[in-house]
Amino acid sequence: MANRGGNSASRAGGSAGTGSNRTCQFKLVLLGESAVGKSSLVLRFVKGQFHEYQESTIGAAFLTQTVCLDDATVKFEIWDTAGQERYHSLAPMYYRGAQAAIVVYDITNQDSFQKAKNWVKELQRQASPNIVMALAGNKADMANKRTVEYEEAQAYAEDNALLFMETSAKTSMNVNDIFMAIAKKLPIGPPPGQPQDTVDVNQPAQQQKSGTCCK
Amino acid sequence: MGSEHPPVEEHDESKKLKVQIQEKDLLCINGCGFYGTPQWGNRCSKCWRSHLALMKKHHDFTKNRTLLSFDNFQERRKLSTESRSMTIKKIFKPSAMLGEGQSQTMTPSSSMSPVTTPTRVRSLSPESKASREAFSEYLSKNLPFLLVQDIVKTVKYATNKIHELNAISPDELSDLVQNFYQGVSEKLNHNPVFTSGKLKVRTQDVMEEIEKFLCVSCYSRLFCASSDEEVADVSLQDRIRSLHWVTAGFLETKLDFTNVSKCKTTNCQVRDKLDEAISQIIDMNGHRTAEKKLRCLIDCCHAIFEALKESVAPTSADEFLPVLIYVILKGNPPLIQSNVKFISRFALASRVMSGESGYFFTNLSCALQFVQEMNHESLRMNQDEFEAYTSGHLAPPLSLMNCACNQAIGSMERSLAEVGELLKKQQQLLVKIEELDVKMTKENEEMAVQFANFLKVNPSQKYLQMKEEREKVEQETKLACSLSDSWSSSKLSSSRNSEDEPKATEQATSTLLQ
Repeated sequence: MANRGGNSASRAGGSAGTGSNRTCQFKLVLLGESAVGKSSLVLRFVKGQFHEYQESTIGAAFLTQTVCLDDATVKFEIWDTAGQERYHSLAPMYYRGAQAAIVVYDITNQDSFQKAKNWVKELQRQASPNIVMALAGNKADMANKRTVEYEEAQAYAEDNALLFMETSAKTSMNVNDIFMAIAKKLPIGPPPGQPQDTVDVNQPAQQQKSGTCCK
Repeated sequence: MGSEHPPVEEHDESKKLKVQIQEKDLLCINGCGFYGTPQWGNRCSKCWRSHLALMKKHHDFTKNRTLLSFDNFQERRKLSTESRSMTIKKIFKPSAMLGEGQSQTMTPSSSMSPVTTPTRVRSLSPESKASREAFSEYLSKNLPFLLVQDIVKTVKYATNKIHELNAISPDELSDLVQNFYQGVSEKLNHNPVFTSGKLKVRTQDVMEEIEKFLCVSCYSRLFCASSDEEVADVSLQDRIRSLHWVTAGFLETKLDFTNVSKCKTTNCQVRDKLDEAISQIIDMNGHRTAEKKLRCLIDCCHAIFEALKESVAPTSADEFLPVLIYVILKGNPPLIQSNVKFISRFALASRVMSGESGYFFTNLSCALQFVQEMNHESLRMNQDEFEAYTSGHLAPPLSLMNCACNQAIGSMERSLAEVGELLKKQQQLLVKIEELDVKMTKENEEMAVQFANFLKVNPSQKYLQMKEEREKVEQETKLACSLSDSWSSSKLSSSRNSEDEPKATEQATSTLLQ
């Protein structure tokens, strides 16, 4: 019993079709250079907390948060990734099967914006084609040290059909909004069942299976 | 007689022949100058003994060589890893498999499998038997009878199939198993029993039980089945061994090993937490089900988070992944790659793709890939340096961080700190003792003075009484003295008595005073 209790997080992932309000689970991956505030953003969104020196008491690398829309409940499973350049090549393992991605940059750091652009390019090339992408310019509270202009980022986001907002984990500006915007763009369509991107692949296999294995 | 004679003659001849041979070869064949005996291979006793020793050595050597040959080594290791947890059960239930062999799904299928040796079947039996019992108990408790029968039949068929298909590659087997999971869960999802919503359990729960049972009962077939993967595992282990010098400092982790002050109070150190993480990740290999393996991984990762928390570092992925890599390098967990492959192939997709277990599993896969591909660039050093460290030609410089990772240095530092503290305490104690000494003598004197004064001012009742008595006695003696004086003049003989009298009274007063 105790063993099964440990999997509650993953089990809750199944969708429960109760009336008009469905729960759908989505995997959201956070990308961006290290120290742009990826985990602060998530902590603000999930726990409503912000720590100047990041003295967080919980593991902020993997968190879940539920967002209620009009006709459905969206459960985000948020996967943080290591932003250091040396781990860049491992990123595909993280965004494999993700339905949404937030690419974060620091508005006071031009370099992080360039990195963000690279991430977007990579996601467009390698992630699943209908992934919902958002660009977040974090640390908007430090606008006096800004090096990335709002218009520049906005134009870039429009060109690449990205959701774009400038956020601040410190003041919580636009934090919930960007997650809500993503939730609205996600396909809530699939009827109760595994909300995974592999559903269509598995269906034919399953039919073939029932012939060979299940009497 | 005639019939007896020839054999005697023959005997004689042979004797003669023997004697002739013995004359030539009576000496030890080693030519040591001593006589040899036929049963010792014509050697003398000394040479025979040394010959025996040589033979034994040779025999042992060949035996060891076959034992140490790669395939056998792996075979044995697999055997030992599998049977490690059940040796005690094996002792108590040696014939468990004989008794219940025919009754259920598991045993006939495992005996069909060509990979399993007879000994392994026996060692495999108790654990899968337990899991079979748990499985059927779970099903019968939570599901209607007809459905249970259906599920058991399906799973039995699948396990048999897994054991039969031995020419198939692990990846194909994985496809089959995943399709099987998919098929069963679809079937359950469409079953009216589940759609009615009357059951306490959900399809996902039942699927987890099926997965658990399948993992345990087909473990020998599913885990690390091909020798190529064993080779890959061994080479990864060698690689990790050669990277022993890559410490937390090189990986730029934010672990703070020096944070002792905080640890003392909470009694959990960064190092302890990391040790816990390492032991958990090593423990992964000891479990059979994907679920338990993943549980170990989750515990390992939680320990890492606690270590980061203890180091007052942010617990985001930027910090987590380097520490996980460090833990893998330090722990060098056995057959880790096979474990990862086993989980990714045969665990339920929901475990591997989503949830905490999925996230940590992805991190583990990433960390392993990073270790495999680790080069001078990923550690930001020049190539010659990297290769020199890896081949052992050069030792990496001792930086503060690298030292902090070293267990021996760490414990020495800790002991030094403890000794320092003890010394300090001792000195403090000495100072206190001196102070106390001074204070005591001073107070003693003061006390004596005060006591005397006090007694002067407030004599106690008893003292007064005694004083009165004494005065009384003194007066009496005085009286007696004056009387005796008057008497002495008149009587000389009685003077002796009168002299005794005051002595006695004096004695009485002194005893009273005492």
